[in-house]
Amino acid sequence: MITRPLLHRRTVLRGLGGLGGACIALPLLEAMGAWDSPSPGAPRRFVVFWTPNGTILDHWLPTGSEDDFTLSRILKPLEEHHSDLLVVSGVDELSAYQGPGDAHQKGTGQGLTCTELQEGDFPGADGLSAGWGDGISVDQAIADAIAEDTRFRSLEFGVHVYGANVGSRISYRGPAQPIPPENDPKAAFDRIFGDLDVDPAEQMRRLAERELVLGAVSEDYDRLVKRASADDRQKLQAHLDAVRDLQMRLGSGVGVGGACQVPELGVVSDPDSVANIPANGLLQMDLLAMALACDLTRVASIMWMNSATNKPYPWLDITEGHHELAHRGDEDLDAREKLTQINVWYAEQFAYLIGKLKSIPEGEGTLLDNTVLIWVNEHQKGNVHDRHSIPYVIAGGGGGSIKTGRWLDVPGDVPHNNLMVGLMHAMGLEEVTSFGNPAYSTGSIELG
Amino acid sequence: MTALASGCGGSRSPAADEGEATGGTGAGDPAGTSSGGEDTGAMADACDGRRPGPAPIRRLNRREYDNTARDLLLDDSRPASAFPPEEEALGFNNNADALVVTPILAELYLDAAEALAAAAVADHLPDLLGGCDPDQDGADACADRFIKDFGRWVYRRPLDDDDVAALSALFSAAEDQFDFETAVRLTLTAMLQSPHFLYRVEVGAPIEGDEDNLRVGPYELASRLSYFLWGTMPDAALFNAASSGGLDTAAQVADETRRMLADPRARETVRDFHGQWLRLAHIDELEKDPDLYPDFDPALLPLLRAEADALIDDVVWEGGGDFGTLLSAPYTFLNKALADYYGVEGPSGDAFERVDLPPGHASGILTQGGLMSVLAKHNQSDPIHRGKFVREGLLCQLIPPPPDNVMAVPPEVDPDLPTRERFEEHTKEPLCAGCHQMMDPIGFGFEHFDGIGRWREIEAGQPIDARGELLGATVSGEFDGVPGLAALLDQSPEVDACLTKQWFRYAYGRVETLEDRCTLDALSTRFSDSGRDIQDLLVALTQTDAFLLRPVAGEGDPE
Repeated sequence: MITRPLLHRRTVLRGLGGLGGACIALPLLEAMGAWDSPSPGAPRRFVVFWTPNGTILDHWLPTGSEDDFTLSRILKPLEEHHSDLLVVSGVDELSAYQGPGDAHQKGTGQGLTCTELQEGDFPGADGLSAGWGDGISVDQAIADAIAEDTRFRSLEFGVHVYGANVGSRISYRGPAQPIPPENDPKAAFDRIFGDLDVDPAEQMRRLAERELVLGAVSEDYDRLVKRASADDRQKLQAHLDAVRDLQMRLGSGVGVGGACQVPELGVVSDPDSVANIPANGLLQMDLLAMALACDLTRVASIMWMNSATNKPYPWLDITEGHHELAHRGDEDLDAREKLTQINVWYAEQFAYLIGKLKSIPEGEGTLLDNTVLIWVNEHQKGNVHDRHSIPYVIAGGGGGSIKTGRWLDVPGDVPHNNLMVGLMHAMGLEEVTSFGNPAYSTGSIELG
Repeated sequence: MTALASGCGGSRSPAADEGEATGGTGAGDPAGTSSGGEDTGAMADACDGRRPGPAPIRRLNRREYDNTARDLLLDDSRPASAFPPEEEALGFNNNADALVVTPILAELYLDAAEALAAAAVADHLPDLLGGCDPDQDGADACADRFIKDFGRWVYRRPLDDDDVAALSALFSAAEDQFDFETAVRLTLTAMLQSPHFLYRVEVGAPIEGDEDNLRVGPYELASRLSYFLWGTMPDAALFNAASSGGLDTAAQVADETRRMLADPRARETVRDFHGQWLRLAHIDELEKDPDLYPDFDPALLPLLRAEADALIDDVVWEGGGDFGTLLSAPYTFLNKALADYYGVEGPSGDAFERVDLPPGHASGILTQGGLMSVLAKHNQSDPIHRGKFVREGLLCQLIPPPPDNVMAVPPEVDPDLPTRERFEEHTKEPLCAGCHQMMDPIGFGFEHFDGIGRWREIEAGQPIDARGELLGATVSGEFDGVPGLAALLDQSPEVDACLTKQWFRYAYGRVETLEDRCTLDALSTRFSDSGRDIQDLLVALTQTDAFLLRPVAGEGDPE
């Protein structure tokens, strides 16, 4: 069997002296001490945690009142972070009942874009009937506003996201511009931290070289864009924009020190294997947290599995496929129990990420205090593909913009566009009044 | 567009819809083009004039990138393995419209270009300079030779003045700031990110008296040929043909194609096509329930793929039969490990040999363990998706997804009930029956093959019932077992038309449009007339307006 090639693994492996299987620690980073520490004025961060196939609402909904609520079974693993939570129930993906696509395609492609999918021929989970999402996703809209200075505009992590279709993407730079998540922690590590062990002089040299090269490359695209046909121009322009984005970020350095320490990446098991999902998920969350701590990016997402994934959860002794289980009727108590267990497990992962962000001191508090972390599910209920009352859980203070320790139940038909507007407000984009398709965007769910 | 697409026609006979029901591998048929030959006559008079269809700019996919790096720089590192997977469309990963560039890909292009250029300068500097020696011949002369002579290999055409000026400016700046060798490396790094390397930029040449169409230029055509047939850049012979008028006529292009088909790289392309069309590429990703299928060892996966490739190679290249043989061969190709897996008498070594299987068991690729395991669940067979595969992949007819309000629950494995009985709910429920009658009765014909593609006589204590029915094809009817199904398919012209359409999509990197109706009909007719010779189909694909011409794009002005 062909295993994943380990290209571009140069930095980490060299540091190891060839000790296969050992932790990839990077003590060499001490050499980077000359670099500046992260700036003390803590930035706000935005993180999406995405899981598929809906939940079991009865076991998810808290009980009690807004300020005095009890977490029910699925969210119980979040109990230790009770005061950092803002549980949001009752918000509806109204747009996701419209436009092309089956329920899974809509729930996934519209979850963060809040507008109808494009017409298209891309195969979805149940067949085909949709194209890509037709607008920028909320994480990217936020990145455009707050990520000008960081090394990466945003980082998209996957855990077991396979294929390339509307069901395997949540994040969009714009209409039909999906951003693929990286499943492989090794590849993610190399991209994010891989060149930090190079000495500063070498860094400066590489920077100068890249400035020259990318300058020439972007002029090359610019010349061709001007004489391309309309359709080709759109594609080439997107490429040119991507090159310019790279150019702009070239000079963004990294301040290793303090809370920013390059994580230790243990043995990375094959990300294509279902059995490795729990271990690789933890690694990805570690990398995500440290990328934030190092201020390499301020916007990130982690997509656990595909829309409508039918993978089993063998580590929970669940051998049936998730999608199959999610489709069983309410009377199937065995399926409900297993779906509950799956969502409890995701809650445990979410709790881990919260804990991770909380463990990173920042100013007087922690990184979590300056973060808006939101758990988004593809659906509310799998067997009828219900996209009403999507189970959202927000964690983190957003730099004081979010009032946590609350359960916000939103009655009536309130579109998820409004929640995105509220999130953007919490991220400091106060002027935003509408997100996604304005036909659905009727206001804001304020989170403060 | 058709009864199939609008809900599968309920209880009425889909055969009444004739050749109009079309679609693709897990994809629809946006153009609504015909799949059958019935209406060719009616369309014939509309087939005058040139009709190239659209010609969107095409970006190299990962396979093409790696192959090009190998052939251009003798670099086998396959750097594109680090790129994100292509966005697939219509079952293929080379669709021009789907291959957009995101910031992460641009970043990975930079990384890959840096690594390739560094290795090339370290290992092959004299070759990059074409033998020019900076000490003897002067740095400027060598820079010029590198840019113009090596550059034409990178851009796959002679460089124009703008190209030379831009690259020379970069070279000078890099040489001033660093040194000559660094300048070579950085210039090459930029070239490898150029649109003229990463894309196939086509300008075309005017055709006298035709304001609507352009001839694809000779170098552009050389790249069309090499990327279609080899998945890589043109070789020296193709470049020479391009520069000397050797690709000016369709006959010359056909000759060149025949030469290229004799090269092993063409075999790789044919395997790549089948890997996507027949989903064989998914064999490598298979995971099965280890409790139910303890024999399904991951070490078998490459062998299952090799079994499929061996049959494809035999049919396409070794005269093992026509295209129909691919779906009906009563034999397969095994080595010892696979023969042991299947429990049949076979070779005693690692090499693959042709093995005749018991009568009624085998039907070409359709009954091989690879495809059968892909078209199965992790813990059982999957008649629905096996039927769907035949319907969509082989007949190019679309099955719409289940409606939103349907609970599409595959039945649980029950040791006391055969798969067939557990899945028969679909055909009982009226809401489901309309579509499922187009899939399940086909899929039941595969029931001798379990979730890992092994033959079984008994399931849940009962003998396997592999009777099935094919509806909605030109030759519909009942059958027993996959060979019976294959015999029906063999009589149905839409299978030939479907294969032609799949190759069209793969070769041209786009979906067919109404403009392409005549091209598709002509290709399909020629394919059937050729005795379903795949090699001849590949030649035919280079002879169409869609391949030799491109439309004039009227919107080239900047905004």
